Amino acid sequence: MLDHNHKEPTNEEFADTPRKKGGFLRAVTTPFGWLLRMVLGPSKSLTEDPASPKWESPSRLALGSFFRRKLAVAALAVLLALFLFVFVGPLFLPMDVNYTDALQANIAPNYAMLSLPRALKGQIRDINGYANFTVGVSNDNRLFMWGYTKDLITGLDYSDFPAEIRDGNVCAASAGYDHIIAITTDGKVVGWGNNSRGQYGAADASDDLLPMPDALLHGTVDISKIEQLTCGYQASALILDGKLYLWGNSAALLNMDELLEAADTYTAQNNIRVKKIALSNYYAAVLFEDGTMTGSNLIFNRESAVSSKNGKIKNFKNYLADKEIIDIAATDNCFAFLLSDGEILVNGAAKYGEDEIPVIGDGEKFVSLTAGTRHFAALTDGGKAWSWGHNDGGQASLDGVAADRIFAGAKQTYLTDAGGKLIKKVGFRGYLFGTDSRGRDILTRIVHGGKMTMTVGAVAVIVSSFIAIIIGCLAGYFGGWVDLLLMRLTEIFSAIPFLPFAMLLSFVLRYYPIGETMRIFIIMLILGLLSWTSLARIIRGQVLSEREKEFVLAAKSMGVRERKIAFRHILPNIISVILVSMTLDFAGCLLTESSLSYLGFGVQQPQPTWGNMLSGANNSIVIQNYSWQWIFPALFLSIATISINIIGDTLRDVLDPKSNREK
Amino acid sequence: MTKYIFKRILYIVIVFFILSFLIFMIYNLLPVDKAAEKAREEVTADRNLDYDARYTYWQERYGLNGSKFERYLRWLGLYPYADGSFHGLLQGNLGTSTKYAKPVAEVLAEPMKNTVLLNLCATLLALGITIPLGIFCAVRRGSRRDTAVQVGTIVGYSLPMFIIAIVFIWLFAVKLGWFPVSGMNTAGSASWSPMRQFFDRLRHLALPLIVMTFCSLGGMTRYVRASMSEALSMDCIRTARAKGLHERRVIYSHAWRNALIPIVTLVIGWFLGIFAGSLMVENIFALNGIGKVYFDALSGSDNEVVLALQMFYILISLAGNLLIDIAYGFVDPRVRVDR
Repeated sequence: MLDHNHKEPTNEEFADTPRKKGGFLRAVTTPFGWLLRMVLGPSKSLTEDPASPKWESPSRLALGSFFRRKLAVAALAVLLALFLFVFVGPLFLPMDVNYTDALQANIAPNYAMLSLPRALKGQIRDINGYANFTVGVSNDNRLFMWGYTKDLITGLDYSDFPAEIRDGNVCAASAGYDHIIAITTDGKVVGWGNNSRGQYGAADASDDLLPMPDALLHGTVDISKIEQLTCGYQASALILDGKLYLWGNSAALLNMDELLEAADTYTAQNNIRVKKIALSNYYAAVLFEDGTMTGSNLIFNRESAVSSKNGKIKNFKNYLADKEIIDIAATDNCFAFLLSDGEILVNGAAKYGEDEIPVIGDGEKFVSLTAGTRHFAALTDGGKAWSWGHNDGGQASLDGVAADRIFAGAKQTYLTDAGGKLIKKVGFRGYLFGTDSRGRDILTRIVHGGKMTMTVGAVAVIVSSFIAIIIGCLAGYFGGWVDLLLMRLTEIFSAIPFLPFAMLLSFVLRYYPIGETMRIFIIMLILGLLSWTSLARIIRGQVLSEREKEFVLAAKSMGVRERKIAFRHILPNIISVILVSMTLDFAGCLLTESSLSYLGFGVQQPQPTWGNMLSGANNSIVIQNYSWQWIFPALFLSIATISINIIGDTLRDVLDPKSNREK
Repeated sequence: MTKYIFKRILYIVIVFFILSFLIFMIYNLLPVDKAAEKAREEVTADRNLDYDARYTYWQERYGLNGSKFERYLRWLGLYPYADGSFHGLLQGNLGTSTKYAKPVAEVLAEPMKNTVLLNLCATLLALGITIPLGIFCAVRRGSRRDTAVQVGTIVGYSLPMFIIAIVFIWLFAVKLGWFPVSGMNTAGSASWSPMRQFFDRLRHLALPLIVMTFCSLGGMTRYVRASMSEALSMDCIRTARAKGLHERRVIYSHAWRNALIPIVTLVIGWFLGIFAGSLMVENIFALNGIGKVYFDALSGSDNEVVLALQMFYILISLAGNLLIDIAYGFVDPRVRVDR
């Protein structure tokens, strides 16, 4: 195993030793030299010191033979990359642990949610999206769709346009959660996607369905009189010549019947037209031309509102009493109202900063409003676009960008000029690894879960090694009754069946009101406390055999103190065994942690680990349809444990002098 | 030998008491008071009853009165209940399941059969594959095939069981459709002929068995290979070869006997360890085994089932240790002399 490329030093090289340099130069270069040597190893002039021509320390030898094994080096590189990924990644991918979004659930890996088709870019008439896909209509009546357009359970692909849709015959279109409504140039209302809940087409008027009006279903509409077409979660609305049409699942849009009736009564009584409708996830609100609105009293009475001028408002209805509303928009959980003086009111459960209405310069006021699922976007009379709310893809980052029109997809904002030319698009691009059943990004969870898994594993290994070293060393070095006692203790601990016992402890912990961090910490301790026995036995055996060797006798006869013999003479000789065992145990702890978490007795949801990310994956629906939900966490966990095991195995081979000799 | 076995048994009994005490204390950390629950229930039903009196009654009935140590002994069956009777673990009383409202022993009978059957089959299958494979690798040490198997086994023992199970379900149940995804039998199979029922059961158990066997291949093959190559490097092997013995004889008679010592430990230890592993498999495949019962009991706070099964796991582990010790005594003559 010695380096055979070794050359005999020449006289010139002898002359050039650092010792001969001047005092000042040496003072400057010496620390630098140390640094270099740390990285590159000893300089040539030092290694070729004739006093020890062919001497190499065992650890350097082992290191050398470790790096000669390609598989081990590859495993080390993979492991380091993984470490970097999980410990640096969280800085770039922040995670809100409690975030869920049902509308974004079960999306396959997709990174094209913001990517507007090229043909649409110069001639945008309308852009509209509610969940995973966005539709756009161009000035020459063509329909485009981008984003994630599949539903793997129903087998639908929303981008399969029905036969009625031909190139250049669509004048308006809107995308809902799982359906699309389009109106062709000859006035036909076409729907496609999922229609199990009366989203379009003929439907039974059962008690929680509001079927599509016959006039739209069979007749045609005057396309010059279309004022608004919008779709929401299993609900659609059309405003045609001041009249509101609303249909879909009234168990999803809860105030559907009530609202339609109220709007019809109000328009008939006052001879007034409907101006706009806004659909949130559960409720809808209607704006009339006289600047009043109607919606569900349930939310407008209960939820507090925030005004861009006056801050928090207690009684929302009274506040609105003598004011004129000119525009409304709705995210999933919030409604926004734009008043004629440019004031914006946001009402609802604003969890993602939907109520942090931006402050714009004096002399400017908002004139129009639009909304995605969790953000609002608005235009001022000076032609400046602003957006606020949830900013996970930058969709809410607009702060006064010049634009003439503004469109919002679910998590995207698009700005165009008056002719429909795209000026700027910001927003969410998609999910590289897809989303899980609660709409959380799997990549983010893998990064954060990896950090948790690795930390738990590492701490558990450190705890177990610490216990093992102390017990093993004490038992081996002192022998006698200490050895007997400690080894009996080790045997008792090793008789405890690991998985059931860890589950029991975790089960008992559930009854105590402790925080999640404390829980995780206790789990680390449990893992450490239950896995030290084998290493302690190995260390004891090693110490026992080292203790009897001549160098210890020599040290003793020279009068070296006991403690120094134990720590300076014996411990370094068994450190390689400890190192190997720690490496292999690390992989073991990763496995046990993930097994525990998989069973639901380790780290709990919503805090991710690679184990509990897989706990939803043991049913055939997920395994078959949502393969990305288990493939990625499983892949990362497997790669981590495989590379750690390869490294540990190779370390054992290269550090064990016996296995070297045999080869 | 008898003395040695006797010593080991004595030692195991001591460890059993220590561990059962530990488990009982952990169990007692659960803030659940069965007597108080029962008494409260009665008092709400009938307002004339005195809570304290009922509480004391149920405490005595359940054996929850007295110090912790008394309760522990009572639970084991070494200390009498208030009425002077003994009915603890040693008398075969494992408690009552709240979920099934039946004695725990009854609840566990059927799952126990399934689990033991599953584990036995998995052990035999795994041994049948790993022992020849390990010997082959040890004999051909360093060859290309050996290296390939080595890399394969590292991958095998690095993967957690649930990942292997998910991948196998995906491959064999979902994609190829050879086996059902989970469960013990097809719905409505009760009316089938016994033969058909048997094959149905077999088809349901096949995938869990494959998963369990596959999971143990990696670790066991490495172990067999390591002990075999250790044995092959012994001086006696060199002597045997120098005598001109047939190579097959050297390997299967001389080396294998020596390699057997660590392998015996492995086989027994592994058979017992697999009970914990079958906990995982039974949950993934929804098999009615004790692992599933344990998991359900933990999830549903069926505390006495948890306690009984925890004791079962401990007993299994201790019995395994004892078996290993005794087997060592038989296989390795040096052990008997040493101790």
